[in-house]
Amino acid sequence: MRAVYGIVAREFVRFSRQRGRVLASIGRPFVWLVFAGAGFAAVFAGRNQIDYRVYMAPGLLGMVVMFGSLLAALSTVTDREAGVLRMVLVAPIRRSTIAFGKTLGATLLGTAQALVVAGLLLPVVHLRPTLAGALLGLIAVILSGLAMGALGLVLAASIRSIENFAGVMNFVIFPMLFLSGALYPVRHLGVVLRAVAYANPLAYGVDLLKHALLGAWVEAGYGGELPVPLDCAALAVFAIVGLALAASLLGREGGVTRTALRERP
Amino acid sequence: MTAAAIDARGLGKDFGAIRALGRLDLEVREGEFFGLLGPNGAGKTTTVHLLATLLAPSRGAALVAGHDVVREGLAVRRSIGLVFQDTTLDRDLTIAENLRFAARLWSLPERVARPRIDALLRQFELLERRDDPVRTLSGGLRRAVDIARGILHQPRILFLDEPTAGLDPRVRRSLWERIRALRAASGLTVLLTTHYVEEAEPCDRVAVLDRGELAALGTPAELKRTAGVDSLEEVFLAHTGRRMADPDGG
Repeated sequence: MRAVYGIVAREFVRFSRQRGRVLASIGRPFVWLVFAGAGFAAVFAGRNQIDYRVYMAPGLLGMVVMFGSLLAALSTVTDREAGVLRMVLVAPIRRSTIAFGKTLGATLLGTAQALVVAGLLLPVVHLRPTLAGALLGLIAVILSGLAMGALGLVLAASIRSIENFAGVMNFVIFPMLFLSGALYPVRHLGVVLRAVAYANPLAYGVDLLKHALLGAWVEAGYGGELPVPLDCAALAVFAIVGLALAASLLGREGGVTRTALRERP
Repeated sequence: MTAAAIDARGLGKDFGAIRALGRLDLEVREGEFFGLLGPNGAGKTTTVHLLATLLAPSRGAALVAGHDVVREGLAVRRSIGLVFQDTTLDRDLTIAENLRFAARLWSLPERVARPRIDALLRQFELLERRDDPVRTLSGGLRRAVDIARGILHQPRILFLDEPTAGLDPRVRRSLWERIRALRAASGLTVLLTTHYVEEAEPCDRVAVLDRGELAALGTPAELKRTAGVDSLEEVFLAHTGRRMADPDGG
């Protein structure tokens, strides 16, 4: 689909022109590694068979995908404000194609960022994944990106202003991060929080990344907690439901009719 | 060639309790230059958005290029070009990138799009600026790019929704010359909405829209003759009891 390619290509061109965003996306996990890593590592020192920074690595990659793919949806909000969304909506393509293009753009952006960060981060923490692990990790990153991208698009399609979007994003991002298993295992949480965690797409993404990267620590209880197929299926469900929802939200009239409404005296 | 380019029957739209468009009957012929004239809030943009499938009608039906606007949205959108009141360009992309993006959205193959984009840039005198970000362009140039974007896929019907709002008179004139040239070259059907009465003068036919209802319809000459007046401005006045309002609103 040429239209999908066009939408994706534009996301990448826009991203590459925003140098601050590029640097932040690559720098962010290292800030967490240094500050959160140092603090938690000290707390856990001696009681654990895994260096906390190694434990964090899958979570940090999940976080890169989350930020990368979720925040990519920001372009949909700015597109609406700048009017670009109207051009897209008047093109002879289905709403679902637009939603798919936007989500795929977000996924690939998140994946590209995660790959760059993985290339820098894994050597730093002395993690050398097996080939199978690396492949599973790539799958985890792509599936998480799809789920996050679709979720971001749902939020972007239902939220009208950038300020509002930023506020909601902050509200979504931190609970999602803390209940993802990125910083501590989900299984130690209470029943209620654990239930919430399993409603969180990032939890499945991080779990899959742990399967991929922490295979050597399964015995010690730091590997993935859920079966790999369940993680994959959950992420796929989030992605598909999100896409369907986003497509119907994008087709909603409010997106293009602001002027029509404003036109009334 | 006698088929109607646009055929609306009892087309109407409500926004909640607000009746934006009552029941509009409208037929625009193939190749016609049709003006939709009315003050702000008359329902012009609503009409365009209904015909462009961006809104779902609350009542009535319409065929655009022979396709039903409710059931055949994709086919309708494939046949039309729409230049919105406000620019829809991506300000961070260059002129050429914007047009390339549009070409992909309209699924034009690269080998078709490239020469067409070059030709449009030449025609609209944008060649030297092609790699400039849109944010650096004047309002007039942006409008030119908007119009180039609107006709890139060679639509049969072009909707121009208040295309000259906010532009200075010189730029306005040059845009009209472009549109005249386009029509002469391709037989394009053009539906123009405007609240500038003088812009409707060169139209083949004009519909006067007032508060969501059709107030008058005919050639500019007919309208003036039936109303017994000398200008479309007075036609409008005669039909609505009001002057065309607010020259720069949207």
